Amino acid sequence: MHRRFTLKFIVAAALTSVVGFAGPALGQEFPAKIRLGDVGFGFGQPFGRGLVAIADAKGFIADEFKDTPVKLEFTYFVNTGPAINEAIANQQLEFASYGAVPNTIGKANGLPTRILLSYGGTTIFGGARADLPINSVKDLKGRKIAVQKATIIHWSLITTLRQNGLTERDVTLVDLKNADQLAAINAKSVDAIFGGSFFLPLRDQGVLKLISNSGTAGGKATGLGAFVVTDEFQKQYPEATLRVTRGLLRAAHWLGQEANREEAFGIWARTGVTLPILREEFDGVSLKNAFNPVPDDFFTAQYRGVIAFNKEQKLIRNDVDLGQWLEPKYVEAGLKSLDLQSFWPRRNADGAAAGASN
Amino acid sequence: MNVRSLVARDVKAAAPFGRLAAGLRAFRPADLLLPLALPAAVLLAWQVTAVNGWLPVQILPPPAMVLSTLHDLIRDGDIAANLKISLWRISLGFALGAGSGLVLGTLLGVSKTLDDYLGPVFKALAQIPSLGWVPVLILIFGLAEALKIVIIAKACLVPTVLATAQGIRNIPRHYLEVARVLRLSGRTRLFKLLIPATLPTVFSGLRLALSHAWIALIVVEMLAAQEGVGYMMVWGRTLFQIDIVIAGMLVIGVIGLAMDTGLARIARRLRGWAPDHG
Repeated sequence: MHRRFTLKFIVAAALTSVVGFAGPALGQEFPAKIRLGDVGFGFGQPFGRGLVAIADAKGFIADEFKDTPVKLEFTYFVNTGPAINEAIANQQLEFASYGAVPNTIGKANGLPTRILLSYGGTTIFGGARADLPINSVKDLKGRKIAVQKATIIHWSLITTLRQNGLTERDVTLVDLKNADQLAAINAKSVDAIFGGSFFLPLRDQGVLKLISNSGTAGGKATGLGAFVVTDEFQKQYPEATLRVTRGLLRAAHWLGQEANREEAFGIWARTGVTLPILREEFDGVSLKNAFNPVPDDFFTAQYRGVIAFNKEQKLIRNDVDLGQWLEPKYVEAGLKSLDLQSFWPRRNADGAAAGASN
Repeated sequence: MNVRSLVARDVKAAAPFGRLAAGLRAFRPADLLLPLALPAAVLLAWQVTAVNGWLPVQILPPPAMVLSTLHDLIRDGDIAANLKISLWRISLGFALGAGSGLVLGTLLGVSKTLDDYLGPVFKALAQIPSLGWVPVLILIFGLAEALKIVIIAKACLVPTVLATAQGIRNIPRHYLEVARVLRLSGRTRLFKLLIPATLPTVFSGLRLALSHAWIALIVVEMLAAQEGVGYMMVWGRTLFQIDIVIAGMLVIGVIGLAMDTGLARIARRLRGWAPDHG
């Protein structure tokens, strides 16, 4: 009985995969299904807190496909870049939005991705134990810092240290995931932590004090990442790729309207991060600038910095050529068709708005 | 007539070599080949899968790539450095866990009263997997070495206690009666009766404990460690270099098998030393 069931299951699985492969082979203009992945947060049903989550919640991408039978499937992978790399390798995703460090690792190991646009920026905070005489990044010399290695936060920490005249050799890094970082701080196993706004509640409890904020420190240590497509998909379905890109551009444009600020926080709060924390994270920050999706000179300069970091830290064995990796034609066409060419000022490599019109 | 039988015939006469000769005669190639059949089949399937590209190279690298990574890791000293730390954790955790397990198991096996008081609580605690203890223990011990050792020790404790208590309770009652009738001293009873009679059960418990220790080691190193074989594997996954992960699996498999075989050998030796109870 049991064996027969297993056999049936295998046959069914085989049939499904044959049918699944047959779909694109017919050369239709649109695939039956488009699967998008993003970094997720929160318990239970994880959710994102960037452009993809806005596009998902407000239906911006779905709108683009409403005259087609295309089904969209969003998956939020809890806190993890490696899982997204694996999902792309297993052909379970066509599009993914994740940090520059893991997606560079994926690219260097041969994942056939192309960068479509910037996913915006993530503010990275540094916190030190309130009972220690650490009041600035410079005071971290000789201290133990908890950080999840091989993430964009790791890159941000090293960049922040450098901005303050320190190097990795001046401190001890302890590789921990978010929840364990909080435990480590509470158990006084480490002196400081670097991460997203997830640890701000500890500051409110008086356990931590903030010593750095990448947003107010000029943005050069602010987390970055990209929205990528598989090379195969964009070659086979250029129209679908353009529509997904347009959907995200519309999401970024919507985010860029100050009137939508609170609604956006409400969407991101589905991750379990509270509204006050979100308000603080983006306090004084223009969401239009923070979620600028255009891969301009600032984006490419920052990305090259991350690729160099990956090599320095021996996270990748092979080099990655950003010029070959970036595919700007969809974002340019999308901006043009939405008449948003001058909505976001193009920044130069230093982050200053160069040649901004309007 | 092959070389081996020639040798066997020649050494037959020489008394000191008699055992060796017997060993050689008992050797059949099938004994060695049978356990290798399944790994060989898996290796073949793996190679075929890799050659045909049925799975992406990032998910299942070809055997040759894993072998070359393993070679690099051995040459650069990564395996040795990580293994040193992992083996230290295993040894300490096993010594603490199995040691206290033997004591507790003996107490529970000997004393019915103690078993009535502690048995159910212990069994309830034993049901909680080691992983379930991690969040609580992190809060108590922080992330220092103590956390890892305690979790490994706990993983070893449970099977050792259960096996030891069981081993003692399973001693045939008439043995104990004979010992009482003969008025054997406590010392004699311990060394001539209790230990030999419980040894087989205790050792199977210890072997189980050792395999639990490995599971616990990998779990804690994956969760909260900066070094060790488990951490090396997590790092390999982070770097999207599954060859490192598979190399780690191979190392753990080989070392684990060697340790288990070692324990089994010791058990056989001890059983040889102890008087026969058949």
